[in-house]
Amino acid sequence: MKDQDPREVSASRRAFLRGIPVLTAAAVALPAPALATHGKHHWAMLVDVRKCIGCQACTVACIQENAVPEGSFRTVVSTYSVKLTDADHPATQPAGTYMLPRLCNHCAEPPCIPVCPVGATFKREDGIVAVDGERCVGCAYCVQACPYDARFINHATNKADKCTFCAHRVDAGLLPACVETCVGGARIFGDLNDPQGELRRRLDAAKAEVKVLKPEQGTEPRVFYIGLDERFQGKVEGQGTLWQPRKAHG
Amino acid sequence: MTPDIVETVNVAREVAWLPWAVQYFFLIGLSYGAYLVSLPGLVFRRCGWEGISRLALLAALVCGLTAPVALLADLHQPGRFWHFYAYFTPSSWMSWGAFFIPVYLTGLILYAWLAFRPALARHAEDGGRLAGLARGLAYGGHESRKALVAAALLAFIGAALVALYTGVEVMLVRARPLWHTPMLPVQFFVTAVAGGLGLALVFNRYLPDGGDPAATRRMAIALALTQCAALLVGAVWLVLGMSGMSPVHAQALAEVAPSANWKVSAVWAAVATVVTLAIALKRPGSGLLIGLLALHSAWMMRWTIFIGGQEVPKTGAGYYSYQLPLGPEGLMGIVGTAGLWIFLFVVLTTLLPLERIGKSGATGA
Repeated sequence: MKDQDPREVSASRRAFLRGIPVLTAAAVALPAPALATHGKHHWAMLVDVRKCIGCQACTVACIQENAVPEGSFRTVVSTYSVKLTDADHPATQPAGTYMLPRLCNHCAEPPCIPVCPVGATFKREDGIVAVDGERCVGCAYCVQACPYDARFINHATNKADKCTFCAHRVDAGLLPACVETCVGGARIFGDLNDPQGELRRRLDAAKAEVKVLKPEQGTEPRVFYIGLDERFQGKVEGQGTLWQPRKAHG
Repeated sequence: MTPDIVETVNVAREVAWLPWAVQYFFLIGLSYGAYLVSLPGLVFRRCGWEGISRLALLAALVCGLTAPVALLADLHQPGRFWHFYAYFTPSSWMSWGAFFIPVYLTGLILYAWLAFRPALARHAEDGGRLAGLARGLAYGGHESRKALVAAALLAFIGAALVALYTGVEVMLVRARPLWHTPMLPVQFFVTAVAGGLGLALVFNRYLPDGGDPAATRRMAIALALTQCAALLVGAVWLVLGMSGMSPVHAQALAEVAPSANWKVSAVWAAVATVVTLAIALKRPGSGLLIGLLALHSAWMMRWTIFIGGQEVPKTGAGYYSYQLPLGPEGLMGIVGTAGLWIFLFVVLTTLLPLERIGKSGATGA
């Protein structure tokens, strides 16, 4: 084996070290143009329920990122205890746990928009359904109209509030906080119009398995699910939770 | 039996349309209901209706002036009410409503002023309380039949639009199957008219002579008819839901059928209606009782629909549990609205005492 010239090593080291900032900058800059350009994107989310571990990291990240007041939630992982049949799990355990991350569905036909009496709720060109906080009168008509219980009145601002797909982050080329923090990689955020993007590829690959919540409402959600059990697609029939955040925290 | 699915973690969404909203729908309903009761005596000059129609007009006015305050208070940003006029949104029935309410109130106030002008002038002449103010408001105290009919017509257009928008605005909410039935605006309307009749009956009872018995009987019959209509509408709703003929009604019924609270509410509403009907027919002279029963049914129907309706989760399992807060978001909303109503009633009946308004022989128009 040929002995290496020490100058060559040092030259390659220098080149490597010189390259670090470039690489770092590129790593930061690369996704930015893909995410931040307006008008061409249609943002959506895919939730792979099979990968959700119900850790609520997304719930907490969302609260931290968006200063959601105590007792209110823009996203949450609904968690259910489901009785197992013998066929599911022969006589070993009586029940399993089912997790379902919920958030605003950023519908293509959002029922919250036409009802808003002052035009404060609107759909951006990139598909994100947003609320103009300067215009909102807090009438809560949109809260009533949303079939997903995704909206609420924020008690700190007294305005309608909901998930925005972390639009401020997306505009800056970042991922929504819930996606960024998802431990199981269950939330995939991306551009429906990007055929090479992970979201589009995953949606195309799982075509038959992809479902949305309450399809009969005709809202055409832009939050898609893989592994969505039909029993949880609409209003869940079962025993309601006894835990009520506002009561628990006064 | 252990259910197959038990929700262990989920969000309980709060009631977003507060008791203020219930008060608004109740009072605006009473107002347009009572307005309709004012028409036979004041506009159509039906014999025997004069006194009761003027009492009904007073009821319409007091309720109509109180209702928008409750609506404003239900906004979480009441200071921004002007946005309704700055950012008109034709796709929203609530946006249209912001324009219908002033049409109705303008017509109603004009109509009431024109109807009460002669009585105000007489009150001033007789040296009654606040005679100076009454004289000023009477502005000569002339009877202007054509102007009165025109104002009543404007109020009618406004009342029809208000009745339409308050019903349709709620009916259109597809996300809440209980609200999303075409019967809902009809139920609102029927109970509103019954409530308007009820309030006029209560006013009538507090006339010095206990009210004209003939007028009380006439009103009792009218109230009995509204109770028949309410029972019919309720029966149609139930049949449509149980038979599955109408999927929206079936869905609405399925949403509340498992709940014991809802069963109690339904039975209560049905029994209250039947009792009101029976008393109105058998003892038509008992104006106060049937009047109060009709008011109770009109309020309870709205409370059940709005507050009860928001206790049904849209996605989660079971029901949310609502407890009336004691502050402005709850009890104070009800008490505050009632307080404003009483204040306006006292002011208006000081200017124009109840007995003067309800005097059956008086010409008010």
